[in-house]
Amino acid sequence: MSLALDLFTIVAVTLGAIFFLAGTVGLLRFPDTLTRLHALTKADNLGLGLVVLGLLPQATAPFGWIGLIAVWLLALLSGATVGQLLAEAVRPPEWDQARTPDASPVGHPNAPEASSHD
Amino acid sequence: MHANRLPGRPTFTDQDPTAATPSVLAALARGAGFFGFWLLLARPGTDTPSTPDLAADLVVGLLAAAAAAWVSLRLLPPARKRLHVGALARFAVHFVWQSMVAGVDVARRAFDPRLPLNPGYLAYPVRLAPGTGRAAFGAVTSLMPGTLPVGTGADDALVYHCLDLDQPVAAGLARDEALLARVRGGGGGCR
Repeated sequence: MSLALDLFTIVAVTLGAIFFLAGTVGLLRFPDTLTRLHALTKADNLGLGLVVLGLLPQATAPFGWIGLIAVWLLALLSGATVGQLLAEAVRPPEWDQARTPDASPVGHPNAPEASSHD
Repeated sequence: MHANRLPGRPTFTDQDPTAATPSVLAALARGAGFFGFWLLLARPGTDTPSTPDLAADLVVGLLAAAAAAWVSLRLLPPARKRLHVGALARFAVHFVWQSMVAGVDVARRAFDPRLPLNPGYLAYPVRLAPGTGRAAFGAVTSLMPGTLPVGTGADDALVYHCLDLDQPVAAGLARDEALLARVRGGGGGCR
């Protein structure tokens, strides 16, 4: 039982470390600041989640669990917030020429007229 | 006239005990919540058995909880919104699953030698009203696969930077929005 839990910890924390590595590789390889923000926010969210999940069997219930999960949620909240603020700060001048896709999802009533016919 | 009133029993005719302003109640409730959360995280007394140390710890915790309550009331005034627990559970499952999809997706692209990216912008006509709902939508979708909100563009649409425009990004956003609207009591639709 304890061996199985230890194995679970090793597997989950290793997977988490791989996602942290992926976030860093993305940070180095992706072409600009916005794509790099994608790499960091998404990969680190999953990486930290897996590390927390792997450490749960090693922590004392319930306070250790609450502390670990709180760390994950707070990192999630700050990552999501700071990611948006950074994206707003570094967006290039052409950002608001974005078009609504012609195939409007599930019938938005206020979707602009499709530009496919004129 | 009121001779049968018991002596020494104050009456509350001029002061309704239930008339405490909602903001005071909200401040007390939030302060208690933050203090409880602080107790769970800091667990005062486990490492420092002496009473003066414990008292000092508790004073710090109370001050921190009061400061947190004050800031939270400034940033997020109390509202009469009720959260739907069932919808919240469904949303949590969706969020965890999509977080995994997002992490795997970005890791696959980062490790791929050809670096398969097709980045671009997409304007999403969000229907959640500005305020808490839209802020929550922005925060959630910044962790969803391939989307990152960069600001509010023309026609009040949220503009997203996308890692890969070939992905069905708008459909995913619409699903996130519908799930989030139900958590906030929007019924089947939004708003």
